[in-house]
Amino acid sequence: MNNLCADIGWKSINHEGEQLCGDHVDIINQNEDSVIVVLADGLGSGVKASILSTLTSKIISTMMAEGLSLEECVTTIAATLPICSVRGVAYSTFTIIHIIENKTAEIIQYDNPNVILIRNGENYDYQKNELNIDNKKIIKSVIPLEENDTFIAMSDGCPHAGIGLSYNFGWKVEDIAEYMKVLTDIGYTAKTLATMLVDECNKLYGFKPGDDATACVVHIRKREPMNLLFGPPRNRDDCNRMMSLFFSKEGKHIVCGGTTSSIAAKYLNKPLKPSLNYESGDIPPTAEIEGVDLVTEGVITINKVIEYAKDSLGKNELYEKWSIGRDGASLICRMLFEEATDINFYVGRAVNPAHQNPNLPINFNIKMNLVEELSDCLKKMGKRIKVSYF
Amino acid sequence: MKITVCIGSSCHIKGSRQVVEQLQNLIQKNNLDKEVELAGTFCMGKCQEGVCITVNDDFYSVTPDTIESFFTKNVLTKVKA
Repeated sequence: MNNLCADIGWKSINHEGEQLCGDHVDIINQNEDSVIVVLADGLGSGVKASILSTLTSKIISTMMAEGLSLEECVTTIAATLPICSVRGVAYSTFTIIHIIENKTAEIIQYDNPNVILIRNGENYDYQKNELNIDNKKIIKSVIPLEENDTFIAMSDGCPHAGIGLSYNFGWKVEDIAEYMKVLTDIGYTAKTLATMLVDECNKLYGFKPGDDATACVVHIRKREPMNLLFGPPRNRDDCNRMMSLFFSKEGKHIVCGGTTSSIAAKYLNKPLKPSLNYESGDIPPTAEIEGVDLVTEGVITINKVIEYAKDSLGKNELYEKWSIGRDGASLICRMLFEEATDINFYVGRAVNPAHQNPNLPINFNIKMNLVEELSDCLKKMGKRIKVSYF
Repeated sequence: MKITVCIGSSCHIKGSRQVVEQLQNLIQKNNLDKEVELAGTFCMGKCQEGVCITVNDDFYSVTPDTIESFFTKNVLTKVKA
């Protein structure tokens, strides 16, 4: 056990005019520290390709997670995939990134563009061993992990971007590596890096992709704890207990909610200084307490955070808002989505009598649902979540 | 004179942002930057009566529609007096 973890994110764009993507990414957690990522690219595009790649990635990830050998996975796929009536072959290329105990990466590649490894800001040339399984040439590499290693797996839609438009022969893998190595230093999340790469491909295609294009980024990083306090405890007498547990935790501290921040300020014996700057139209201003990294309003802010979280798990279109916004919700997003890997929620179950007014869009159930929704989203982002109720 | 506006969840929904903005404008228009200090606070515990504000320590309930007449009546007269 070390203090590293893998941040994984991917994004696809579809061949122009297709509703389905012929590339497919599957991520299976084997245990807390081991994960299998499979990126498969089905022959052709549209429905047929989508079926081929979905089957391939699902079969490989499930079988490998259960500990079956690579040979068995490959033969199973060859025997299972439906044969294309036009081309007479069953074919889907794949890339497997198997992170083992957060110590080793096992990379297995079949006919996809080579996985790029950015280490110490450089395009790192790792050893590639050729295997022959069922007459298929498969490349296998075993790489001991280092902090800040960034693996970039792609479907061929990425290096083919811009053929005949921007570049004669597309966007070469080495050039993609050059483009990405500058970005990996900045501290973007894996999802953001994948999005930036695919968006660039889309641009090179003139926004009319001639192939499905997918990028999947696995970024090895240090674990980073984060603590979020939300709502006063149901029983007033628990205030001190809740505060002392919250503030004794390692990592940054976020306090959400008006009454909650008053309690925190009282506990720390420091003044609570709300600001009057409306950084964003619909989010209440933040406040300051010495000893707390961020103080915000409660329900409205958290509601916005959930909206951003859902988008970031899907189309990731609102990224440009929360990645630079100075309002409470954007600040929380950056701390939870980008910085944190392990998040502890301290949730108070006090019913605010003033919120029980039917004219207000806030009530106790909504508040509790918010916590559940948010922790669900964060889990989907690969964060470890612990929720304690008071 | 110190005016404090609640920027908690409830008052926010009831329009505390507009109240703050109007107060900022009114203070500027009347050149009262030195006389009147504007501040925010989280929940005053009277959410039903929002938007909650205090002038010095006296509590008032206002809305974005009434804030201008409130300012004329309760702030301007007192500051000039």
